[in-house]
Amino acid sequence: MGRAEEAPSPEGIRRLYPFLHGGHVPVEVDGSTAVKVAEIVALRERVAELYADRLAECAEAMAGAFAAGGRLFTFGNGGSSTDAQQVATTFLNPWYGRPLPALSLTSDVAVVTALSNDAGFEVVFARQLAALGRAGDIAFGLSTSGGSGNLVQALEEASRRDMLTVGLAGHLGGRFAELRERGVLDFLFVIPSSSVHRIQEAQTTAYHVLWELTQHALGP
Amino acid sequence: MPLTSTARLAVDDAFARRQGAGRRLAEDSELISRACRDMAARFHRGGKLIVFGSGGAGTDASHIAVEFMHPVIVGKRALPSIALSNDVSTVTGVGARNGLAEAFAHQVRHWAGPGDMALGVSPDGRCATVLRGLEQAHELGLFTLALVGGDGGPIAGSAAVDHVLVAGSADPAVVKEIHVTAYHVLWELVHVFHAQYAVHGEPAPAGVHEGAGASGPARPEADR
Repeated sequence: MGRAEEAPSPEGIRRLYPFLHGGHVPVEVDGSTAVKVAEIVALRERVAELYADRLAECAEAMAGAFAAGGRLFTFGNGGSSTDAQQVATTFLNPWYGRPLPALSLTSDVAVVTALSNDAGFEVVFARQLAALGRAGDIAFGLSTSGGSGNLVQALEEASRRDMLTVGLAGHLGGRFAELRERGVLDFLFVIPSSSVHRIQEAQTTAYHVLWELTQHALGP
Repeated sequence: MPLTSTARLAVDDAFARRQGAGRRLAEDSELISRACRDMAARFHRGGKLIVFGSGGAGTDASHIAVEFMHPVIVGKRALPSIALSNDVSTVTGVGARNGLAEAFAHQVRHWAGPGDMALGVSPDGRCATVLRGLEQAHELGLFTLALVGGDGGPIAGSAAVDHVLVAGSADPAVVKEIHVTAYHVLWELVHVFHAQYAVHGEPAPAGVHEGAGASGPARPEADR
């Protein structure tokens, strides 16, 4: 998770939420929900414009990997680790369609703390992929900044092992953009926003759409 | 790889299906604001936020807890929150012994004070484990909030729930996406109110469910 946003100044807060000096819950605060909603609706539209073709291609590649016996490994830090877990459980225990083998690399706290303590946090996902992953599997990394060192190392490890590599990032893509240029990432989806919150929300849509299209490609 | 034309159509359809429900969240602005004001008052008095959900909603519970415990926005203080579904040993242990529906209720019973807040997440509003958790929380005097979807199910209809936000879609994936935006806004507005209470003190609670009072003396909160 990046820390890209600044806290608004007290004056900014007063301007955004002038009611705070009064008593009742006020339209101005209610208005702030409407602003965020408008932002995410517009951002989703933008993501669809930018990436509709690539999302479909990525889902077809993932479906191909699953059909050939591949498994899905997901990873991220902080809020993105909860998304990694959501991706894994969506594929493994779906609302409908075929259950597919998927694992979030933050779900085993013993492995995560052992690796972090003994080998370093930078290799917490790469080492797991080295042990569990094989050619034809899928590595799926989620980051809002695209700058997390442990994700970069994991995707490099996955690429060396001939896994299909997929990255979700935000803002300008950070180090994930370099990975894409170097061919380490097969697919990269960068959410064009500077808000960590809006990036996460649009990423949620992106991975749900990838799951839906993967099911579509695999057929009933 | 050549794209099949149906795949491309499926992408357009998937994005289009999200927008209406996404926009409708704005209609719940006032409800969200009121819930945030109540929550900020409880945090101000030392209450903690206890979050729970099953399956994918468990990942939302984790996300909400980490949002409050470790804010992504520089300068926001940490507020106490735990996600019950993270404790796999206890959830599966209580589940095996007393049935899964009792898992969160058990944790609430032994973790919560009356000044705390309970937030249950269930995309179809039908999760018995979440409902039991909210009922137990209400019985103990906690503030209760539910994030649900579809027709709201039994959770939306429960007298144990003070505030309920119903995402306007029957598709659980879309419901989750709306919930993520909702709890991001929730977190932000709680901080707006909380910061204000810290400076000027709490305004007189008008129509706020604060009968039970805080669970104990307000504990100092870590500044980030």
